[in-house]
Amino acid sequence: MFLAKIWFFLISLVAAIAITIALVLPRPAQRTLVAEEQQRLVVACGVIDILLGDDARNRVELAGAFSRTQEIVAALEAASNAQTIDEARMKQVRDVGDAVMKTIQGSRKPDFAMLIDRRGRVVARVRLDENDFGDIAAGRPLVDDALAGYLRDDIWTQNGTMYFVSAAPVIKRDPPVAYVGAIILGHQVTNALATKLVSSLNVDVGFHLGKDDVASSKTLSLDHAPLLDAVKKLSGGDLNQDCQANQPIEISTSKEELTAVVARLPGEAAAKGAFYSVFIKRPESVGFMGTLKAVTQSDLGFGKFPWPLVGGGFILILGVGIALMMMESDRPLRRLAADAVKLAKGEKERLGEDDHAGKFGSIARSVNIHIDKLGREAKTAKKDLDQLLGPAPEGSLGTIDLLATALPPSRPGGPAPAVPPPPSDFRFNDPGPSRPPVPSARPGTPPPGMSRPTPPPAPPTPPSLAASMPAAAPGAMMLGDSLDDDILGGSAPIAAAPTPDPSGANVDPYFKSVFDQFVALKKSCGEPTSGLTYGKFAEKLVKNRDDLMAKTGCKEVRFTVYAKDGKAALKATPVKDE
Amino acid sequence: MVPFRSCVVVVALLAAPGAVHAGPVVGKLELPPAPERGPVAAKGFLERVENPLAPARGVAVTPYMVVVLEGAEKPASPGQVSWDLVGESFSRPVMAAPVGAEILIKNTSKVARSLSAAEDPKLVPAGPINPTGPKSFRVTEAKVYSIGDPDAPHLRGKLVVVNTPFVSTVDDGGKFDLGDVPEGSYKLRVYYKDAWLDVAQDVNVEKKSKLEVSVKVPAFGAGKK
Repeated sequence: MFLAKIWFFLISLVAAIAITIALVLPRPAQRTLVAEEQQRLVVACGVIDILLGDDARNRVELAGAFSRTQEIVAALEAASNAQTIDEARMKQVRDVGDAVMKTIQGSRKPDFAMLIDRRGRVVARVRLDENDFGDIAAGRPLVDDALAGYLRDDIWTQNGTMYFVSAAPVIKRDPPVAYVGAIILGHQVTNALATKLVSSLNVDVGFHLGKDDVASSKTLSLDHAPLLDAVKKLSGGDLNQDCQANQPIEISTSKEELTAVVARLPGEAAAKGAFYSVFIKRPESVGFMGTLKAVTQSDLGFGKFPWPLVGGGFILILGVGIALMMMESDRPLRRLAADAVKLAKGEKERLGEDDHAGKFGSIARSVNIHIDKLGREAKTAKKDLDQLLGPAPEGSLGTIDLLATALPPSRPGGPAPAVPPPPSDFRFNDPGPSRPPVPSARPGTPPPGMSRPTPPPAPPTPPSLAASMPAAAPGAMMLGDSLDDDILGGSAPIAAAPTPDPSGANVDPYFKSVFDQFVALKKSCGEPTSGLTYGKFAEKLVKNRDDLMAKTGCKEVRFTVYAKDGKAALKATPVKDE
Repeated sequence: MVPFRSCVVVVALLAAPGAVHAGPVVGKLELPPAPERGPVAAKGFLERVENPLAPARGVAVTPYMVVVLEGAEKPASPGQVSWDLVGESFSRPVMAAPVGAEILIKNTSKVARSLSAAEDPKLVPAGPINPTGPKSFRVTEAKVYSIGDPDAPHLRGKLVVVNTPFVSTVDDGGKFDLGDVPEGSYKLRVYYKDAWLDVAQDVNVEKKSKLEVSVKVPAFGAGKK
């Protein structure tokens, strides 16, 4: 079984390794997935930065086109020459601006416009704070640059609202060419704008002003603390590198876990902590079961999965295991079983210890040891019986072969010693020394638990035998009474008749049965039975039984009638256990 | 761009009582070519680009200049200096004031501002200046203060406090007027934007005469100290 055990160990080891691999293998894949998602997030952030730049370019172009409108130029030229800006002028300029605004259609339509004269005064506002005018807008970098002749963009904030603004100078092109003011266009940062930005990116974007949310493509209650911490770490001067510079962070909402990157927003809004975040839902940890669930039918197809390899491996493992079991267990067991059958049939005296290896050899040795032990015990019992009974006289009733069933036909270690006659044989009519009867546990009956031979139907008492029997003593139990008494459960006192009465007054049914069988066999063998009486026969049996029980420690003795050498004989067999 | 650039504000009006005033001192700065426009402030997503129709306007330097005349005369009763907050900027980005003068800031814009001095947070009284509301404080030390609103980084002004009562702003043409100056020897200095220019011209004021001085300003960025 050694190789089978080794094989089982190896299979267990391989199974453990396979389970470990199955449990561990999803983790690198998960990390790869997370890393790819984070990379996608960084790329999306960069794309959004580019889109915002493109959007700014479009807005600046729009501001340029707006500023070149002739009505705007004329209105601001007139306002620049005025010492003060009154309401009438404001309304006139505002109407002009509103009219131009209406010509702009689609998503590029600004949310507000400011018309500024050459001195930096706000002549009119369109669609936002329309009644405010006359204040100085100069001083803001965007306005100063526009008044100086530059086109540019910026991000303004006002009351928690964020505006992408663009500016362009207003230039009188008729000679002499002169600057007459500037226009500012503003586009509010809204959820719609955010959604449009990321419509093709499969991510979400949010615009924030410090800890306040301004707009988002997805309505979420974000945890701002990690976002602000990430923004603080962005210290470089080049805002275009923010997407690549910072590491994706994990943020939580009340509904889901997100991965996000942040990037600062430029312009005036930067001073107020403006930034935008790009976020995606964090990939869920799939694990082993998740990986299994993700397996599709096509994954198990013959073209993709090495079924022959798996099947071959399985058959190989199974074949080796079965072969080892047959080699180490089945075949030796069959050999031992066959050997045991030979032993039972008497074809062998002992099991071949050297023919069986390992545990089977141990079994054979144990069986042999027990056989030897039984042989020794039987030999000892026979010697004791010979000493107890003495040799049987010639011409007596027959012989009692007490070892007839206790020993194998031929004993281990060689044939039984040929010592005729056996010491245990005796002549039944040998009067022998008269010995006092030994009280038995239950006189007249075998010890409890003894399986008696079923008494044959009571043969008719041979006339000769019955005649030879002495008359029953007064009060003595007759044969039929004895049988009835035994059948009825022993109503007689246990110690009432410890020894069979030779007169036949106390007849033991078992002994009587044996006696009848013995007499019948003697007759059939042509032996004389004239001197044979039940009383003497039973007394002999009782004595023989009691001695045998005292010497061997057995609980009962069984007597068997048989023919030996053409003569009736009797065997006494000590029975130790039932 | 600073509004009202043609307006020359004469701040130093007062001399010590009992001093003998010889006459007004006026002058003109010979300005070098305007410096290059500085890097874009509060840059947006894009770099600024020049318009294709007209060359960009140069930087106006005179709003950022003040002239002072330093001598033995000390400001005894300097009076009040008014400095307006006109919207997204001060009426002048650089203002001069004698030591001991009261600075009165008037908010003529429609937005409340909270001003403070970077060099001395206690200089400007705390609290916002509401639209049309004033806020005043007194300067007691010759020093340059940066006054601004932390919520509007572009709103910033320089307050140049000097130990002389004779200070003047400069008009678009470079002219300045220091008012009546007592007889004596003085040194004329020019402050530009955020530093004193390397100009220290001696001026001798004589009795009962108007003195006109001409000051040559070195190239911007070359002679600051």
